[in-house]
Amino acid sequence: MLSEHKSIRHLDFKLLATVVVLMLFGLVAIYSATFVDSESDLLNFKKQIIWGILGLLVLAGTIFIPIRVLNKYAYTVYGISVFLLFAVLMIGTGAGTDRWFALGPIRIQPSELAKVGTLLVLAKYLSKENRDLNNFRELAIAFSLVFLPLLLVMKQPDLGSALVFLALILPMLHWAGLSSMVLFVLIAPLISLVCAFNYYTFLIAMLIISAVLFLSQRGLTFFLVNFVLNIGVGVVTPIMWNLMKEYQQKRILTFLGLVTDPHGLGYQVIQSKVSIGSGGFWGKGFLQGTQTQLRFLPEQHTDFIFCVIGEEFGFLGIFAIFALFFYLIFKGLTIASEVKSKFSSILVFGGVIIFLFQIVVNIGMTIGIMPVTGLPLPFLSYGGSALISNLVIVGLLLNASRKRFEYF
Amino acid sequence: MYQDLSNLKKFYMLFTLVLFAILIVRTGQLQLYQWDKYFRESEKNRIRDIILEPLRGLIFDRDGEVLVDNRPNYSVSVVPYEFLKADSAIILLSEILNLDPDDLKKKINKNKRGNFSPVKINRQIDFRVLSAIEERRLDLPGVFYNTESKRYYPGGVKASHLFGYLGEITSGELKKFKDTNYRIGDSIGKTGIELQDEEYLRGTPGVKYIEVDVLGREVRNLTGLGGVSPNPGRNLFLTIHTEIQKYLEEVMADRKGAAVVLDPRNGEVLALMSKPDYDPEIFSNPLTPETWNLLVNHENKPLYNRASQSLFPPGSTYKLVLGAAGLETGDITLEENILCTGAHRLGNRLFHCWKKTGHGEVNFLAAVEQSCNVYFWEKSRDIGLKKWSEFSRNFQFGKLTKIDLPNESPGLVPTKEYFDRKYGEKKWTRGLVLNLVVGQGDLLTTPLQMAQFAMILANEGVLCRPHLVRKIEDPLTGEVVFTKVDSIQIQGTSKKTYRTIKQGMNLVVNGVKGTAKSARIRGVTVCGKTGTAQNPHGNSHAWFIGFAPMDKPEIALCIMVENGGSGGAVAAPIAGGVLSIYFNDQKFAKIP
Repeated sequence: MLSEHKSIRHLDFKLLATVVVLMLFGLVAIYSATFVDSESDLLNFKKQIIWGILGLLVLAGTIFIPIRVLNKYAYTVYGISVFLLFAVLMIGTGAGTDRWFALGPIRIQPSELAKVGTLLVLAKYLSKENRDLNNFRELAIAFSLVFLPLLLVMKQPDLGSALVFLALILPMLHWAGLSSMVLFVLIAPLISLVCAFNYYTFLIAMLIISAVLFLSQRGLTFFLVNFVLNIGVGVVTPIMWNLMKEYQQKRILTFLGLVTDPHGLGYQVIQSKVSIGSGGFWGKGFLQGTQTQLRFLPEQHTDFIFCVIGEEFGFLGIFAIFALFFYLIFKGLTIASEVKSKFSSILVFGGVIIFLFQIVVNIGMTIGIMPVTGLPLPFLSYGGSALISNLVIVGLLLNASRKRFEYF
Repeated sequence: MYQDLSNLKKFYMLFTLVLFAILIVRTGQLQLYQWDKYFRESEKNRIRDIILEPLRGLIFDRDGEVLVDNRPNYSVSVVPYEFLKADSAIILLSEILNLDPDDLKKKINKNKRGNFSPVKINRQIDFRVLSAIEERRLDLPGVFYNTESKRYYPGGVKASHLFGYLGEITSGELKKFKDTNYRIGDSIGKTGIELQDEEYLRGTPGVKYIEVDVLGREVRNLTGLGGVSPNPGRNLFLTIHTEIQKYLEEVMADRKGAAVVLDPRNGEVLALMSKPDYDPEIFSNPLTPETWNLLVNHENKPLYNRASQSLFPPGSTYKLVLGAAGLETGDITLEENILCTGAHRLGNRLFHCWKKTGHGEVNFLAAVEQSCNVYFWEKSRDIGLKKWSEFSRNFQFGKLTKIDLPNESPGLVPTKEYFDRKYGEKKWTRGLVLNLVVGQGDLLTTPLQMAQFAMILANEGVLCRPHLVRKIEDPLTGEVVFTKVDSIQIQGTSKKTYRTIKQGMNLVVNGVKGTAKSARIRGVTVCGKTGTAQNPHGNSHAWFIGFAPMDKPEIALCIMVENGGSGGAVAAPIAGGVLSIYFNDQKFAKIP
């Protein structure tokens, strides 16, 4: 029985095929985005093919690592990735963005390894027997495991990648068994903070928060503490905001992508919307997109790859992408809910969240409903480090699905 | 399973569905509902980002008079997509700009940031080129010109080495400033203050988005896309005393040399002059390779700042260093007389004093007054090379003054170790030391260091870092930042020694036998020291260092005329001129 589970037949080929099709889609789009004329060297396209092959080999390796081993070395991987994040800040050029290690012509982004490392370490920490997540101390440790790499990535500064870490923590806690009420108590002050800038939104937010707190029937003290805390956040936030100097406010808004900065992000979003919108239902055809071929978008082969697909392959192409992504998420969640090992379950779920977050934020940015944060689209955007780390996560999914009947 | 996760799974499936639905609906809205609009937009997509150049900061003198100002100037840019379509346009434009068509194409392809962002291809075009482009507008799609600014110098002060000049940014500089907002074709400070204070002078460029027609002409300004206004650069207020600077430039017009005038109370540079110079305005217009080659290859090296970059032997002005060392060690006393017969014997070699007949019996003060070599040679035997090197270093020779100008030279103070390295241990003789103590031989200083030395003597040991920028003003906010005056106390020399040296320097100018009588001015006690430094490249360099008034010095200076001849006859009168301008202006204007 056991040996049978280890055989290749238990590999989820449909999931693997989905990912490979997405990668091929990405290659087509990168080809189009960097194609100039028949003489162009297509360097990025060729590099991405090499990264893709390399990534699939790494994926194959990941599938066959015993879950036990992954669990055992979770802290080691995490430790190495945090060390590398420190190192990249230390030896960085100091001028602006220190995100890469340059190994000859290859540039490696340690933040990508840190995603995997953090995923492993959180899964291990949360899946430990007798873990009581409603205990404040244990919860705080879980948070610090995420915030250490998060702050280091933010320092680079790479807001997009940093947000991936932030997006990970609450859903993973939720999946690991944190009660919905504690989750709510954690989220509520954030809602109050965001809503505090307008009387009406704040009023509505407070009504909802109070209603949920009241209906939870946890007693008067619980209600009052949380109520006062949220009111406090709501009152203090605008005061703090007004005390800040204008340039500080501007810096925060720019950081959050809420105002356009001198580099012309507003221009990028306009061009991005024109690219996608002009594609229509059928698209303009491969290499026929005027926006794409005239290079309106400086980042079109990386962060704005979705525009290339939207313009040249239309709504049809985009719908296909959504279908593939949805299948990936659906399979991931299914594996996460079926797998017997708690560690694997949390691990797989975290991977799904990483994908979901990147997909929503990247596409949302290109269609103008999310701020421009500079996050690549998984499997499609040009970029070696991100592709490899995403394929490693797929490897973990496939690994877990092969052994979903084993407890360890 | 460790817990029932099917409900959680359902929750997250629903969550994903909702998010994807939002994305799909929005994409559908763009692609299906608003397709018409965006398709038309993409067909005539003629949105351009236009960089708005900031106005470079102005440079003022100490009284607030403008020395360096801006004047409008035009540059040509092309939009690659439209321009490169037609070979005829490439050929036409290269004819107008007098460029090779292939070079022009290469330049555009190398520097473009996307097909629709303009690439600047030529700065500083003259009016002839401008009108040629305007005439052939229809044949030049995608070509347009911007208004920028260029430097001009309304104050009548050339001070080319002080101001420096601007030039087009090189690929090396672009790489160096990678994360700032420099672009190809931008101007950047290349030397002098323009380079030193580039970060303040430049300002920050802005951007505007415009819609253009088929010919690349602006149809409307798309203010809704979030353009940014440029911020002008900061204005520099220098410490320069324009009248002294002008006087020095005129009086030295046909000579080579340098002069540095300092305010010893705070280190402010009142004048800094280097000759031969060039007209900085030639860099404001298209610079021909011929002019550039002439500047670079000229035997007199006009691009070199002789005040802070070039190194010279300081001659007898440097005897004061040995004097200070001797007075401190006790090897020199005021009572002792030494007989100068016109020569000093070392082994079987005779070293001649500049006065062949000899100075007779001289004490320290007389030796300074008459600049007697024999006296200092005699004393150097007791004091020794080690002490001399030590005092030289204490007086900041062989070190940078840290003036706010680029490419300063530190000079050279030889030591025993230096000679051992150069000639081998025990393979050099005391003759080298005899040369050093009278400011000859391997000793090398800049005129700036000599002026600084005059300041140290004037202040009796206090050194204020020489600086040219007094304050920096933000023209938008009016915020002003003053340069901090850094001062240090020179170690190893006592007040008493300084007073004695000052007495000697007083005699140099005001004594009966003094070598610098031409530096005297009415009503102010001037102290000084001359130098006549022999050198293998022709006539001696004429030196004068000094300060005034003796008791409460307000001005310290160094004048050096390269191959000018005798310090007393050539350099001292120029110092006299500077001092009379300074004092007549400030104190004695009312005296008839």
